[in-house]
Amino acid sequence: MHQYRLDRVLVRASWNYLWRHPWQLAPALAGIAIGVAVMLATDLAVDSSRRAFLLSMDAVTGEATHQVVGGPAGVDENLYAALRVDEGFDNLAPVVEEYVDVGDVTLQLLGVDPLAEAGFRDYTAPGSVLGGFELLRRLLTDPGAVLLAERTAAALGLSPGDTFTVLANGREVEATLAGFAGGAAERRLDNLLITDIATAQEWLGRQGQLTRIDVRLAPDDEAAAARLASALPPGVQLLRAAGRTESVSDMSAAFETNLKAMSLLALLVGVFLIYNSISFAVVQRRGIFGALRALGVTRRELLALVLGEALLLGILGAAAGVALGLWLAEWLLALVSRSINDLYFVVTVTEVAPDRLAIAKGIAAGLGVTLIAAAVPAWEAASTVPRLALARAALERRTGRLLPRVALAGLAAAAVAAVLIEISGGNLMAGLVALFLLVPGLALCVPLFVRAIARVAAPLAAATGGVTGRLAISGITASLSRTAVAIVALAVAVSATLGVSVMVDSFRASVSEWLQGTLRSDIYVGVDRGTLRPELVADLVQVPGVAAYSSSRSIWLETETGRVRLTVLELAPESPSGILLRDGEPAAVREAFREEGAVLVSDSYTYRHGVGRGDTVTLPTAQGERTFRVAATYRSYGADLDSMLMSRHTYDVFWEDPRIGSLGLRLAPGTDADAVIERLREVSAGRQALLIRSNREIRELSMAIFDRTFVITDVLYWLALAVALIGIAAAMLALQLERARELAMFRALGMTPRQLGAMVVLQTGFIGLLGGLAAIPLGLLMSWVLVEVINRRAFGWQMDVVVDPGAVVAAVALAVGAALLAAIYPARRAARANPALAMRED
Amino acid sequence: MKDSAFLIVCLGILAVLGGAAVAVEAPREAAGSPRLSALLGSADPGFARALEPREFAFPADHGPHPEYRNEWWYVTGNLDAATGERFGFELTIFRFALAPATEPAPVADETSAWRTRQVYVGHFAVTDVSGRRFLADESFARGALGLAGAAADPFRVWVEDWFLKSFPKSEQAGGKWLLHADSGHAALTLTLQPLKPPVLQGDDGLSRKSFEPGNASYYYSITRIATDGALRIGREVYDVSGLSWLDREWGSSALSDEQAGWDWFALQLADGSELMYYQLRRRDGSIDPMSAGTFVPAEGAPVHLTHEDMALEVRDYWTSPQGGRYPSAWTLAVPKLALTAEVEPVMAAQELDTSVRYWEGAVDVSGRRGARELTGRGYVELTGYAHGP
Repeated sequence: MHQYRLDRVLVRASWNYLWRHPWQLAPALAGIAIGVAVMLATDLAVDSSRRAFLLSMDAVTGEATHQVVGGPAGVDENLYAALRVDEGFDNLAPVVEEYVDVGDVTLQLLGVDPLAEAGFRDYTAPGSVLGGFELLRRLLTDPGAVLLAERTAAALGLSPGDTFTVLANGREVEATLAGFAGGAAERRLDNLLITDIATAQEWLGRQGQLTRIDVRLAPDDEAAAARLASALPPGVQLLRAAGRTESVSDMSAAFETNLKAMSLLALLVGVFLIYNSISFAVVQRRGIFGALRALGVTRRELLALVLGEALLLGILGAAAGVALGLWLAEWLLALVSRSINDLYFVVTVTEVAPDRLAIAKGIAAGLGVTLIAAAVPAWEAASTVPRLALARAALERRTGRLLPRVALAGLAAAAVAAVLIEISGGNLMAGLVALFLLVPGLALCVPLFVRAIARVAAPLAAATGGVTGRLAISGITASLSRTAVAIVALAVAVSATLGVSVMVDSFRASVSEWLQGTLRSDIYVGVDRGTLRPELVADLVQVPGVAAYSSSRSIWLETETGRVRLTVLELAPESPSGILLRDGEPAAVREAFREEGAVLVSDSYTYRHGVGRGDTVTLPTAQGERTFRVAATYRSYGADLDSMLMSRHTYDVFWEDPRIGSLGLRLAPGTDADAVIERLREVSAGRQALLIRSNREIRELSMAIFDRTFVITDVLYWLALAVALIGIAAAMLALQLERARELAMFRALGMTPRQLGAMVVLQTGFIGLLGGLAAIPLGLLMSWVLVEVINRRAFGWQMDVVVDPGAVVAAVALAVGAALLAAIYPARRAARANPALAMRED
Repeated sequence: MKDSAFLIVCLGILAVLGGAAVAVEAPREAAGSPRLSALLGSADPGFARALEPREFAFPADHGPHPEYRNEWWYVTGNLDAATGERFGFELTIFRFALAPATEPAPVADETSAWRTRQVYVGHFAVTDVSGRRFLADESFARGALGLAGAAADPFRVWVEDWFLKSFPKSEQAGGKWLLHADSGHAALTLTLQPLKPPVLQGDDGLSRKSFEPGNASYYYSITRIATDGALRIGREVYDVSGLSWLDREWGSSALSDEQAGWDWFALQLADGSELMYYQLRRRDGSIDPMSAGTFVPAEGAPVHLTHEDMALEVRDYWTSPQGGRYPSAWTLAVPKLALTAEVEPVMAAQELDTSVRYWEGAVDVSGRRGARELTGRGYVELTGYAHGP
């Protein structure tokens, strides 16, 4: 490397140039910084919430290697006693677990037998032994005594000895903070409400039941696992603890992958910006480079010079991006964790963990894309012929020749993407790679399109807009070397916004229609995490005005292919079913479902497992594994991907679990729903805190959750658009500056500053318009890929693409608007330029 | 074992303390902890207290006395295998009440089956003399849901799968008991046949621990129990037979501040007699005058022995690798019985590294009773020596 060390003169030449043109660095810097920031922030936010989830899972799983789980009712506590006393198994720990609320904070209630906890979970704080005994005594002897991590207690404003109200299974119970669990600075026990198993059972009304039995076996002791498994009654399973954590955290994996992919969009747009800036910096100095070459500077030295500049740019941009990303992550985290809470599981996370690996990844990505984007212009610089500064016209001619080739390369990339989609089956990553090849690939054809249109449009513009118009439009063709890349960036950003908004609209329409079809009752009554008290159900359905009711109960089943959400329905005899079928003859399906013990599987299940109508599924029932026929696939947009429906009739045959989670009430015609709701509240008052919602409220709530989920997506593509906007502005500015002499000539020839400004605005606006128009097919293609490839592969959801003409118009308007916004400064500059000075320059 | 919850350590301390109140609930040096007495208070009025001698009734008194704070069932024994190997064993089940049962228990509308104030702790140890191994294990369970408990009729006390219980149809079986424990490393199943009736220790079964009234427990022993059964160590199974000793005690005593620990001897002599002696050690190194013992002749009434009747001399020491120096050879003399016994552990390392460390081991006895040569075997318990490493 030694021999390529740059000469001081060379560095100074470089420095002088860059120092005199700082605005030229700005867009590239911004592009890198925003790209890195968005990627890093998304990584950190997603990983922080995932880590918080895993940490809380770790805290509750402890050292357990396996878990004994049962069906909906959990595990009979007598099984635990029998395993311990009659079978002589050691290293078992009973657990009763549920989410409960303290005020507006959700905590995980962990009911344990402290005497069986040794070797499983560690609540110890380095501290007094006696304090420990006293805590044990109080946990066992004081009903309602709980332990909290010191941090959690502080967040709730609680000190030891305080009593507070806990909402457990819809009932208010009184807890007393007996003391702290874990050390003061530890996080692992955050948001856990630790109590004795007796208290947990009494609070939740789950006397006789355990959520699970934790098991600790020596690693690879298959014999012990087999011995334990064989001691379990039918309907009770022995599962690997790690597998269980995985299957829960897998629920949100697709969601997280999609978010991370989205976050790359900004960086992708950034690539075009970097390319633009560097290549502009190269082209502007073609004279200097020619002279340098003539002075004996080698090609390699020039290459190193330009790459060195890019690297410097990359380092600055990435550093700014990391700072920005850390800040952005705090903000994004709230969005991400809220969506995960809405859709998947409870995760409480308040802090971004600044993960070194993610930061390193962000910096590497920033530097990597910078160098890749700079490679072409650097090569161009190195290829400068000594002395012969390429005339601008020659440059444009070369660009003109290059455009078809670039477009061809883009088409090739798109073709690869198409093949990839075709051959990759259901692979999500391949789908995402294809998306990232397809859209930029096709965007590379846009400059060619712009040139073609501009050629056609120039005479038209002349006819309508006079000289200004003609000059503006023909100027586009003449300046594609400057503007082409900005156009591509704009097209990518705008097509992404269009593609995503069409996807979200389609999704929204499908979900809305689905909710309409699925929610067939007038009033819904449920409990937040729990089941309705049986004696209350009888009273609720007797409320005057209730004509019929249906019930549902959702349980998780651990099957060989992962967790399945089984929803058990008891449908009101005469009411419409509320199940939207994808296939099958409705009457026959209804018969099979209600009377013949068949189940229905969700779209996602069918897509993910290739199991549909006529196939069978094997489920762990209370009587052991049983096989069920699949009567049909039904439409579902639930976040729980592997879902099934079963009739209450079938369920009662295989499970002993009469509990229900929610009721759907149909009112007699002419009944005032609000009056019935009021009455329902009176009936349940003081017995169980119920969620009572009208059909409309449920739909609104569902759509609100839906919209909340896509807030993040919105944020991400607006950021990408911001990057594109900066790019356009910079490209136009560069163009105007470079054409300063030309513009000064126009002024000298009698054009007013106003006309000149108008010309710049018109030109930029037209570029925006063309970019926007080009973005329409691109965006639609992208939405198709998002709906049919990405969403399908990630979630298995099926939806119809709905194109709102408004969204298309908005996309074009956005492109033109962005371009005009970007034109303001260059136009003013062009208008204000002193023609005499400008002509003397260079 | 970083995970061993210190909650349990504490429980162990109290269980051993409470249960092993042969002598004193002397505060154990649990890593420099403050005095347990401060925690427990001198006397929880909710618990019944051993204040005066009572009428013992069997088999009812083999069962639990939950109105007292703590209680233990303590079986030790020396066994010989048919193939010649020698073993010792200990199975102790402690009951410990976390709070008096009379205290009102406010609960939700339906009480969980887990709700209890009674906690049970089991200690199981096997001394493999020939194999020079000492295998000890500990288990905890609450007295609920059938996980652990005790009952008088039919007699049964258990912690999970470890138990001591009367034989089915015990009357016909001649009052036989069945003992079982399994730690994975070792498993023991024994039939116990008492050869003597229960011996009431102290003042007709009231064993005073200090001059304070109520600082006492009810204490009886069955000093000679014919024992046979099977012992598994690892994969080897031995047919074993020998003699066992049962100690039973319950009370609600508070702890005495001056007492540091005790040395307890349960010796079964070849002439058919037994000697029990517990010596309470005070913090200042002196012997507590409440130290006492009993001599049970082969025939006839037991003889109560006081501190003045005994002379105990330590001849050797053993240092635990875990820390702490234990006496490990003694000369125990009872001049008024003309009895001198040399007591030596069958092996030195018989310390239970349970939540509370103590030494509980099989010993050999040799000596003289008057002119006659004397041999025997027994068990010794040493507490309060385990100071941190």
